[in-house]
Amino acid sequence: MNAISVAKRDLLDVRRAKLIWVPVALYVLFMLLFYWGQSNSMNPSFYRIMLSLATIGGVLLIPLVALVAAYLSVAGERESGSVRYQLSLPVSRTDVVLGKLLSRVGVVSGALLASFAIGLVAAWTLVPEMSVEYGDYAVFVALTLLYALAYVSIAVAISAATASRSRAMGGAIGFFFVFNIIWNFLPIGPAYMARFVFEELGLNYADSHLEFIFSLSPTGAYLNALELAFPAEQFPGQVGSGFDVFYLQEWFMLVILVAWVVVPLGLGIWRFRRADLG
Amino acid sequence: MGDAPAAPSRIGLVFTTDVVGVPSSFSDRHGSQRYKRGIRHPTPICRQQHNVIHSGSFRKSYKIFAEWSTVPAIETTALTKRYGETVLAVDGLDLTVGEGEIFGFLGPNGAGKSTTINMLLDFVRPSSGTATVLGYDAQTETEAIRERIGVLPEGATLYERLTAREHVEWVAETKRADADVDAILERVGILEDADRPTGGFSKGMRQRLGLGMALVGDPELLILDEPSSGLDPTGIQDMRNLLRAEADSGTAVFFSSHILSEVEAVCDRVGIMNEGELVALDSIDGLRDEATGGATIELEFEAEPSVDPEMPALDAIDGVQQTTVEDGVVTAVCADPSVKIDVARALDQRTTVTDIHSTDTSLEELFNQYTGGTAHGGPRESTGSTGEGDTRKQEVTA
Repeated sequence: MNAISVAKRDLLDVRRAKLIWVPVALYVLFMLLFYWGQSNSMNPSFYRIMLSLATIGGVLLIPLVALVAAYLSVAGERESGSVRYQLSLPVSRTDVVLGKLLSRVGVVSGALLASFAIGLVAAWTLVPEMSVEYGDYAVFVALTLLYALAYVSIAVAISAATASRSRAMGGAIGFFFVFNIIWNFLPIGPAYMARFVFEELGLNYADSHLEFIFSLSPTGAYLNALELAFPAEQFPGQVGSGFDVFYLQEWFMLVILVAWVVVPLGLGIWRFRRADLG
Repeated sequence: MGDAPAAPSRIGLVFTTDVVGVPSSFSDRHGSQRYKRGIRHPTPICRQQHNVIHSGSFRKSYKIFAEWSTVPAIETTALTKRYGETVLAVDGLDLTVGEGEIFGFLGPNGAGKSTTINMLLDFVRPSSGTATVLGYDAQTETEAIRERIGVLPEGATLYERLTAREHVEWVAETKRADADVDAILERVGILEDADRPTGGFSKGMRQRLGLGMALVGDPELLILDEPSSGLDPTGIQDMRNLLRAEADSGTAVFFSSHILSEVEAVCDRVGIMNEGELVALDSIDGLRDEATGGATIELEFEAEPSVDPEMPALDAIDGVQQTTVEDGVVTAVCADPSVKIDVARALDQRTTVTDIHSTDTSLEELFNQYTGGTAHGGPRESTGSTGEGDTRKQEVTA
């Protein structure tokens, strides 16, 4: 597997880059803040901490960690020309993209796992009276890693499809705004627009349709999938439940997240294979 | 000179060993691999390569014959790269580089050298035409090619957070080659900096490391794009010696340069690119013979030469094209370098010659004639191409 040799070298290189670690440090900082907040509470709740981590973390920090870690992975080498050293060796362009994905996923998931471990230590030391729900925490960690994987894959794909650092950065920021902030949190998101269009045209629609549109972004799918990690009464924004259509079940949220790993990567590889690297 | 005289004997060895049944390890590495490639892409054992280049400035075509025993190191057929509608970076390039040959690829910046190399390495896809490297298709069999070649890309940056040693180790691992990392770093003269990150390297050190990386795994062909850029004179000398040593061990070397003297010192043959076309292809000696400016000799003398009716006038000597006398210096332009001694003798008969300056040939001048393109309109028309001269000159750098 030539992708492995690409990944090994990239890992050696990228772990020495300081910028990669800034969002991770930020994530740990927020996490500690949440635990500290619960330590001052009368009846500390582990689920409240998980919820804060899911929202602030899931909406802002995880995408930030993943995009910063990966948006330059291919485009940066292409701009500096070092990709020509890489491609002078017996590796294919597909290997380059896959290798980059492997190493950046390695960096991000390693950093997040370390953060979650720190979180546990913080729980034991800062709020010893609180009961930690280990099973649900494990599910939460796994879902968050899948979500991060989707964002890393998207960032690598954007990087593979663009020729320069600036375009890769533009693509990453654009994706974050469109598929995260606008899609899921602003009242101009596609779900709102769809409702407006349906009503204007006098078409029948069900709330499940709008909810499905909301779930199509990585963040929407992640938030709805989190029901797997929370008991029903602990998860306030439970929009997804109550629908029994298959495309709003939690397992389908996982399908959407996996699609966000595979599809962008395929497009990125396709673009990179066709690119002139002159 | 020295085009490929050694090749037939090497192939002879391979055939002998195979027929007689001597264990194949007896034949050398190159020999056995070539033989395999020969089966894969059957080619006549003694093929005559026949390149006809029209050189407009001389309105003369000349042919290069060379014999190659098996698959050429590089072969391009009507290779063309167009950027957009107007920019023709490489225009119908037909080029063959034999095995074990040192080939200099010469031309001013923007002539299409890097684009050609990028097409050989599949960094850039040709608009039309084909290229093979070591008999493998440059577009569809890239991995087979990359396993067998060493590359020094132009203007490529190293990984500045990795050390020199880590770079060489990475190349060796990717190529699955057993490499003595220290020996390679020693060979290119940066062993003492082996464990420093390359971010702090000078341009010359980076170039040396790049060259070292190209040498990993004992490649059959080295493709070097402007290898001497950033090197100081010692570095250039070291590089030359290294290239010669590699060529002596049977490695073909294809390198580009925009500096004539560099190519002249090491190459068996040179090709001169200008505005996307190959305008000359010959050995250095062949080019020298073609030099129209001829050989020039300047002789300083003490007193005005006496007129000796017994002796012919200088410009009457066979092969002397032109003489001028000015400020105690006679300048004679000769068609052939061997005539210069006749001029010197003749002048010595009549006066005391105090000093002699001889410019061997005017290769520089020839190079300028091929590539200058402004003073004469020759090459463009004679090759029948469309005259988009100015847009083409636009540099298409790698």
